[in-house]
Amino acid sequence: MLTKLFQITLLATGTLIGSGLTPASASTAGKVVEIKGEIIDTWCYFSGVMGDSDATRGTAHHTCALWCAAGGIPVGVRTEEGEVYMVLKFKGEDPLEQSDTIMEIQSDIITARGMHYLRDGVNYIVVEDVVANDGITYLSHEDYDSVPPFSAPKKKK
Amino acid sequence: MWTKQAGIAAVLIAGLGVGALAAVLNAKPEVSADSRPDSSKFAIDSSNTPGFPKIKGGDFDLVDHNGNRRNSVSPDGKFQLLFFGYSNCKAICSLALPNLAEAVDLLEGMNAAVTPILITVDPKRDTVETLNKSVADIHPNLVGLTGSEENLDEAYKAFNLEKKFLFEHVDEGAVYSHGSFIYLLGPDGSFKTLFAPVISPVRIAEISAGYIAEEIVQN
Repeated sequence: MLTKLFQITLLATGTLIGSGLTPASASTAGKVVEIKGEIIDTWCYFSGVMGDSDATRGTAHHTCALWCAAGGIPVGVRTEEGEVYMVLKFKGEDPLEQSDTIMEIQSDIITARGMHYLRDGVNYIVVEDVVANDGITYLSHEDYDSVPPFSAPKKKK
Repeated sequence: MWTKQAGIAAVLIAGLGVGALAAVLNAKPEVSADSRPDSSKFAIDSSNTPGFPKIKGGDFDLVDHNGNRRNSVSPDGKFQLLFFGYSNCKAICSLALPNLAEAVDLLEGMNAAVTPILITVDPKRDTVETLNKSVADIHPNLVGLTGSEENLDEAYKAFNLEKKFLFEHVDEGAVYSHGSFIYLLGPDGSFKTLFAPVISPVRIAEISAGYIAEEIVQN
């Protein structure tokens, strides 16, 4: 199962997949929030296929997270408190066009301002603006190396 | 399967606060003695933020795996769970479609039967004939939809669905990336809600039952 799921995760390659959503009218919009957290690969984080969820964050999982995001796995913003906001859309991005935004900020610690919606018990955010980006700060590879191990090329001996 | 689901559910509860522990981990949704989901047990989450972004939606004009034309209106008046993917997908489809199928079975047991639908992103291989053979392997009630590039593009636009050909795998053929949300549509094809692929089948069923129960109450 793990091997299959690793394959599933890594086979999902290519383009950034949009949210499939369009904003509601302003009169019925959600609440503006500003949250700080790490852009995460929600599949590997929540499914447990990689073991410890901390291993699915930061540098250890960065390569795999790129593949997952590229293949259509929704990304989330995980706050320091452990709360996760599923990202529905980045403002200004046409979901029918390709975008590099998520690929550029995957695994980064960002401060995002946007519209928050609670839906069926899940937090969602439409990101209006990334007001700060601290880059990748969680050096999880020091504890976990690469997760999964084959997600990053090894140095030649 | 249940071990996997329990793992997913446990993390969901910790991270997202989705659902009650017992409801997610221990039991299948309760079945009403009535011929419909019990609205006292399955309701739309009252904490939902008004104005959740909606998909544009809209009708589509495609062909099902039996060769019949099919649009977004359910011919038998059922709610619909829609996913975009393709039969040969070894990536997200092989995760999402079994979860979708399990949710459909759970809903059936809750007297809240829904129709699962797969709209292909690979019409070259997912023809009427090939879908006819492949969809039953996923779920006996799964409706596979294909069509002309033009008509499929309309369906993709209706759901702002992105897809892109990636590469030709030596064994598996064409590999595509594509969006991975599961959409709950009403019998009239209207958008009700969506599910990220990380949501467990039990939660998909429970949440869907809430929307179905509300529709029954309203009507």
